[in-house]
Amino acid sequence: MNAVARSLWLAGSLGVAAGFVAVWHAVSAAGLVSPVFLPPPAAVGRALVNGFTNGDMLANLAATVARVFGGWLLASLLGIVLGVIIGISSRARIYVAPSLEAIRPLPVSALVPIFIGLLGFTEQMVLAVIAFGALWPTLLSTVHGFGAVEPRLYEVCRSLRLGRWEVIRKIALPSAMPDILAGMRVGLTVSLILVVVAEILGSREGVGYSILLAQRSYQAADIFAGIFLLGCVGYASAGLINIAEKRLIYWRR
Amino acid sequence: MQALPPAVTFPAAAPAAAGKPVIRFIEVGLSYGQRRILEGIDLDIWRGEFVSIVGPSGCGKTTLLRLIAGLARKDEGQVFYNGADVREPSPDVAVVFQDYSKALLPWRTASGNVALALEAMNVPRKEWADRIGSLLDLMGLFKDRDKLPGQMSGGMQQRLQIARCLAQEPKVLLMDEPFGALDAITRQSLQDEVLRIVAERKVTAFFVTHDLEEAIYLGDRVVGMAANPGRIAKSFVVDLPKPRDQLTTREHPRFLAMRHDLFSFIKHG
Repeated sequence: MNAVARSLWLAGSLGVAAGFVAVWHAVSAAGLVSPVFLPPPAAVGRALVNGFTNGDMLANLAATVARVFGGWLLASLLGIVLGVIIGISSRARIYVAPSLEAIRPLPVSALVPIFIGLLGFTEQMVLAVIAFGALWPTLLSTVHGFGAVEPRLYEVCRSLRLGRWEVIRKIALPSAMPDILAGMRVGLTVSLILVVVAEILGSREGVGYSILLAQRSYQAADIFAGIFLLGCVGYASAGLINIAEKRLIYWRR
Repeated sequence: MQALPPAVTFPAAAPAAAGKPVIRFIEVGLSYGQRRILEGIDLDIWRGEFVSIVGPSGCGKTTLLRLIAGLARKDEGQVFYNGADVREPSPDVAVVFQDYSKALLPWRTASGNVALALEAMNVPRKEWADRIGSLLDLMGLFKDRDKLPGQMSGGMQQRLQIARCLAQEPKVLLMDEPFGALDAITRQSLQDEVLRIVAERKVTAFFVTHDLEEAIYLGDRVVGMAANPGRIAKSFVVDLPKPRDQLTTREHPRFLAMRHDLFSFIKHG
């Protein structure tokens, strides 16, 4: 894609976004929905500015971002390590993978009360919830990626007498990297959902908690400001994953 | 019937060579369930010899190669390399697989793929650049050293796989239909390169192919197999002058006679 086409595309997509905001403004200004539920975009903008200048929006945002990435990194690390252990042995794959598939669809948000019971209303609880929930996509995709390594490459390794650890590091991990990153991308989305759930149910700071407070005091603009910030975090993290994919799986078209 | 030319003399590695064979099969048999893959395989391969294996698909020629490579099991008999029972892959033995695109690491450049063999052989890192450079140069890939396999043609990828095998500094080169997926022109130039390398490095070569002319053109000896059960049904020395030449060798009356013989063997058994 050349520079002109790129900037046109960018302008177009910004135009679409601006269109959404315009429709939102029109609906709000026409009084189709009560401003108690749907504040105009300008009010949300003011709430954001106000939150960052006079309130503790920045602290909330920092806390949430730290939890999302802390929990997600923990989950990814655990997921990859466990995935490698299970994935490297075809026997383990056959026996363990079905149980993992059965656990995966469990909504982790339903487990938050258990985590609160175990760890209390603590930072560790929030991290544990995120890490536990975001673990599964990465774990399963790592197992899958290891199962999908070209068998011929394993033969090349046998023929070259590479050790088991070298085979994992030099063959299986790079080969499974597209799957692992796809799992981590899903894990990041899960982390974002769970941070809000955990903050609403059991925390005293964070964007999720600020949304809860705003809802309790009928500050619709503040609710929307919080949602907007979460959207930004999600968008930025998806961008980071895209960069990681470009760098790590450059060899795949 | 055309009269055969007088026997040509050249230092062919005939089976009568002195000493012990490098590779020796004794009464090797193998079954998959009810199916008999190999039966009563007896074969000696001598140092520096280029042996071509031909036969219909399913006759077990690839299995024979995998047995030497230490990549396959057997039910009966013995396979020896240098007098020792083959139980696992040996660093002396390199395998060129047919499906080059699957045998290369797609995330490594040409240099990186050759480096894999050096890593496996624990070659000191300071020697890598020189060795990789000269191997890629030998295979005509030096200018492509930073390319990924996905950016290379089939012929280049197969050259790269051969370069990686040579990085092992093997004494035996096993090739499993290495040129089967390549176009005719590329195949011929690779045939000549392999002949040159094998001669220069005094490597023993075991070459599986379904191309009868290729088998004769390359081989010091051609071994013909039959299927159900896989067994050796024919073996003859290729007494064609060396170095072989794509034009004159293939027109040589002896070549044509052997080709005729081999075709009728494959067709009628």
